[in-house]
Amino acid sequence: MAEIRFDKICKSFGNVKVIENLDLTIQDGSFTVLVGASGCGKTTLLRIIAGIGPQSCGRLFIGGTDVTALPAGKRNIALVFQNYAIYPTMSTRGNIDFGLKNNKVPRAERDRLVSQVAETVGLTPYLDRKPNELSGGQRQRIALARALVKTPDVFLLDEPLSNLDAKLRVSMRSELIELHHKLKTTFVYVTHDQSEAMAMADTIILMDKGRIMQMAPPEVIYLEPENAFTAQFIGTPPMNILKLGGDGRSFGFRPEKGILSHERREGCAYCVPGRISTREMMGSETIYKVAVNSGVGDTGSVMIKSQDYGFRIDDRIWITVEDEFLYFFDRDGIRLRPGDRREKAALFAQVEKEAAHG
Amino acid sequence: MADRFFRRRELTIEEQQIRSANPRKEWGAVLKPYFLLVPTFCFLIIFTYYPLARLVWLSFRKYNLLSQDQFIGLQNYRQLFFINKDFGPSVKNTFVYTAASVTLLIVLAVLFGLWMQGERKINSLAKRVIFFPHIVAGVSISMIFAWLMNSRNGLFNQLLMAWGLSPLEWLDSSDTALGSIVGINVWKGVGYDTLIVLAALGGISSEINEAAALDNTPSHRRLFCITLPMISPQIFFLLVTITISSFKVFDLVRLLTNGGPGSSTYVMVLYIYRYAFEWNRQIGYACAAGVVLLLILLVLTVIYFKLVERKVHYQ
Repeated sequence: MAEIRFDKICKSFGNVKVIENLDLTIQDGSFTVLVGASGCGKTTLLRIIAGIGPQSCGRLFIGGTDVTALPAGKRNIALVFQNYAIYPTMSTRGNIDFGLKNNKVPRAERDRLVSQVAETVGLTPYLDRKPNELSGGQRQRIALARALVKTPDVFLLDEPLSNLDAKLRVSMRSELIELHHKLKTTFVYVTHDQSEAMAMADTIILMDKGRIMQMAPPEVIYLEPENAFTAQFIGTPPMNILKLGGDGRSFGFRPEKGILSHERREGCAYCVPGRISTREMMGSETIYKVAVNSGVGDTGSVMIKSQDYGFRIDDRIWITVEDEFLYFFDRDGIRLRPGDRREKAALFAQVEKEAAHG
Repeated sequence: MADRFFRRRELTIEEQQIRSANPRKEWGAVLKPYFLLVPTFCFLIIFTYYPLARLVWLSFRKYNLLSQDQFIGLQNYRQLFFINKDFGPSVKNTFVYTAASVTLLIVLAVLFGLWMQGERKINSLAKRVIFFPHIVAGVSISMIFAWLMNSRNGLFNQLLMAWGLSPLEWLDSSDTALGSIVGINVWKGVGYDTLIVLAALGGISSEINEAAALDNTPSHRRLFCITLPMISPQIFFLLVTITISSFKVFDLVRLLTNGGPGSSTYVMVLYIYRYAFEWNRQIGYACAAGVVLLLILLVLTVIYFKLVERKVHYQ
């Protein structure tokens, strides 16, 4: 039982307030991913949980106990650092059982645990090597093994895959998911990569400027974003957000919901002409950047993800989005969920007007 | 088979471009680095290798700067080891002085370094203060300490008496003279050594210390299992350089005690100096003592590299 609860936590560095008055509960046994751009406070949160960058005010509970005043080493948590932070002067074995020695685990027990963990992460042949003789992936495994061997209540991972090459990253990703499934411990994982968050999390916490923008399972955060920030952060490419009228409101649609056609299609509020300016054939789908005249923000173009790879650069085409796939946001970027039919009709009429501009 | 060895290496595209652009520059490009090394080598040859060879050569000869020198084989060495009784004590004093200096300097540099780590206001002041003696000339230091350690009216004794302690003889007693000079040497050198330790400590990433905190590491284990191994290359560097510089101690001894009282601070370089420049200018004999000093340093350095360096963790 290791639920993590933040109670009115704040954190400042000097005069700069990074996090203010944050309440948050991370479910026991969940794989929670903290995601956001750099400087959004996600690593700060992780370090608060770990106890190596304590909060300026507020209280922290792990598994129901108040750990606010507890030093890092006594919290029974493990942290995997971005640059691994393995002890360079110790062998793989030395790195893994260092924490056990500190906690005076008897020799036989230590040896058993180390060989068991080494087997799990595939380090058995390298136990007596020094870290500088090992590859990046193997060092990553040492860091993981060092965390695993403590059988912690909470696993904290700070961008653990960002120093690996793309292929290794994907395979480590699925290994971590399996590991979580096997251990059923609370995992808190920090990343700036939204696709990593989507792939691994069962709960995503999206942060911006020290605030939580949305906390939800991946499918909810993708399909039902609560605000324009979330909509534009999640997804590859992210949601297209377009201006709606002159009052700061906006509407948007996911790139895969835009239908490309050579002829104008009838019956949808959003249907605009455009010209294909780039084309990225990804295999199963093709991503087009389409220059449009109407309603767009700064870029003058929208991204469309299509199964049809037949369109070429400079093709003149029409983009259509079915009404049910349009999202609306107010001037503060908060999602508008039009309740009654009249409100809805007004919004769609506005979209139609925007589309007609071009 | 043979033509594999004799065939010329294929040129890289870059080299081909250089050659086709400037075919005559080829020799210039080969000679340029050697040309740049010439000044350094001139200095080394004139001021290091030639004197070294001359030292060894003279140690086999009888020479007093005035008369024609003559070859006398190992006579100088025989005199050094078996006839004169004063060489042994000077070697012993030098070893004691070096061992004490090395131990104290390294231990204190590490302790000061650990204390001055981190961003505190007092640390930046402390760094300046502790480094200051290093830039003061040995002569000035000797003058200052000659007064501080004066056994009649020096400041140290006045302080001791003010605290109700009995005064010490400092440089005037054969029991405390060598220790006093070690103390002055440590005071003079610890700032520089601390700075090296501090730089090494600064090279340990904060994540390593955080990982140690998360591993619930007691502070003594953090020091001996993480911090010291990680700064071991710098400690090894200090070990070698302090050993060499301590073996060559001269100015402090010459100015403060001139080897006395008795022969209690008689060290090897002072021994060489006296025979070479004060007592009948026995240059050949002094050179033999110089060769012994050189060999001791050589052997010690080899021992360090063979035995101690195995425990050093280079990254």
